[in-house]
Amino acid sequence: MSTLIPRPLEDLVERVTTDPDLPLRQKRFSSALRDPRVAAWLGASLAVLFTICFVTGLFSHIQQHPVSWLPVPARPAGLYRVTQGVHVAAGIASVPVLLAKLWTIWPRVLTFPPFRRVSDVVERVEVLALIGGGVFQVFSGVANIAQWYPWRFSFTVTHFWVAWVAEGAIVAHLGSKWFVTRRSLRRRPRRPALSEIDPALGASAEGSHAGLSRRGFLGTVAAASGVLTFVTVGQTWPLLRRFAVLAPRKPAAQPINRSARNAGVITAATAASYQLAVSGRVARPFTLSLAELRALPTESAELPIACVEGWSYSARWSGVRLRDLLARAGAPGDAAVRVHSLEAHSIYSVSFVNHIQAHDPDTLLATHLDGRLLSLDHGYPLRLIGPDRPGVNQTKWVTRVEVV
Amino acid sequence: MTPDVPSPPEVTRRGPLFWVTALIGGAGIAWGVRGLFAHHIDTRPANWAKFFVGGVILHDVVFAPLVLGAGYAVARLVPARARAHVQAGLIVVGCLALFSWPEVRDYARVNHNPTSLPYNYTANLGAVAAAVVVAVVVAAVGGWLLRRRSRPS
Repeated sequence: MSTLIPRPLEDLVERVTTDPDLPLRQKRFSSALRDPRVAAWLGASLAVLFTICFVTGLFSHIQQHPVSWLPVPARPAGLYRVTQGVHVAAGIASVPVLLAKLWTIWPRVLTFPPFRRVSDVVERVEVLALIGGGVFQVFSGVANIAQWYPWRFSFTVTHFWVAWVAEGAIVAHLGSKWFVTRRSLRRRPRRPALSEIDPALGASAEGSHAGLSRRGFLGTVAAASGVLTFVTVGQTWPLLRRFAVLAPRKPAAQPINRSARNAGVITAATAASYQLAVSGRVARPFTLSLAELRALPTESAELPIACVEGWSYSARWSGVRLRDLLARAGAPGDAAVRVHSLEAHSIYSVSFVNHIQAHDPDTLLATHLDGRLLSLDHGYPLRLIGPDRPGVNQTKWVTRVEVV
Repeated sequence: MTPDVPSPPEVTRRGPLFWVTALIGGAGIAWGVRGLFAHHIDTRPANWAKFFVGGVILHDVVFAPLVLGAGYAVARLVPARARAHVQAGLIVVGCLALFSWPEVRDYARVNHNPTSLPYNYTANLGAVAAAVVVAVVVAAVGGWLLRRRSRPS
């Protein structure tokens, strides 16, 4: 270090920083858990969990921002329920893994000098993107499912783009740590414990190093992920419903994400003048009053409602088939539709239904839920419900079907 | 546990794989950053940057030192034979508490959604934490009994 730096400062820097070319376990960081093998296991687990989140997140994005060259299928009906349930469950499970990984590699954060070679600069940028992206995604995801919004940005848009940053950083990090990870994860013959060779020395050493072993630490992190999953995943997986005591929603209560009061639709939805209009690219546009709508033949379907926040439940929905309305209006066979809500000023007041989903026999404009008239919060007088769609696209308080 | 010697230094091999993945991963990062700025009306770059960088700083300056301090305290205050179990219990309960923080604080109440956060999360967190403590105690006592039984008389 330069002689221009005062000695006490030099000592302080020497004491609190680490050397980038020495192992994780160095200087004051004497824990045996600061180990490349532990870091490799945690890193590999995190890469798998984050990649699951990334892939399922892309599917959710395509559902909410449809592209014409990749129409989302209508079957299996519960596909989105599974992918989004897995997305949120993997995100929750990654909380302990991310924290443990950050703890293990903490000495690397205090590295001084921060870089010695050009490749060090590249790696530092990539690690900043990985830590920043990982912490941001996990924090914003956990806050979002608890409906806590301490920020001013749009959660879905920002979460989507930061996911690219985090996943890109994972790919780059994979390359920079490939050799050390491969070497660390390779099975090695068990070394005998010191206590097996010299009981006295072993007992003394165990006394000073007592605490979680590396295997114990990894097991504990896995247990923490498991417990978190166990007490939350019941919000989408009925088998574990009774154990979901820390889940943000209770599926048995048939939760909603936006109440009629918050959407500002109570007056319009209960007005006697309510009408449903079917218009757009059709031969015979028409409107129906509520009484005329109820006089039409109805169908029923058992379909899940699956929220982007990871909760879901299955219910029996009854109402008019969307394809019957399209046929009555003389819409072409390949018609897709936009469904408009009475709700104004919301990004979810219009949803797109592609030609596959629009003509599926289970896609309904529902008037009843489990045999009872829809409540206002569930979309009275009419809501869209179709197979393999996110809850935010199952538009409530429907007033217009526009064929496109 | 097995007393251990420090691992050898990490081998710094930054060959073609490093640069190829840096290029592919860098393209992903650049695509994400481009999207964040291209959709600035929704992403509000100044605001997300505050949370992006703030998250790293909060972890490095507040959270990590707190955890290191807790680890130091456990190493000094907890007897060696119970230390591993106490550490395991603290890690699991700490993660549960951190995850359920927004639920316990009931930040969602401002949304006026009666179906959001339907439980008493303070009580539920306490119950789950108690179950974890019981599991840790059972594991500790079970391990002690097993070791005692297997010890040569």
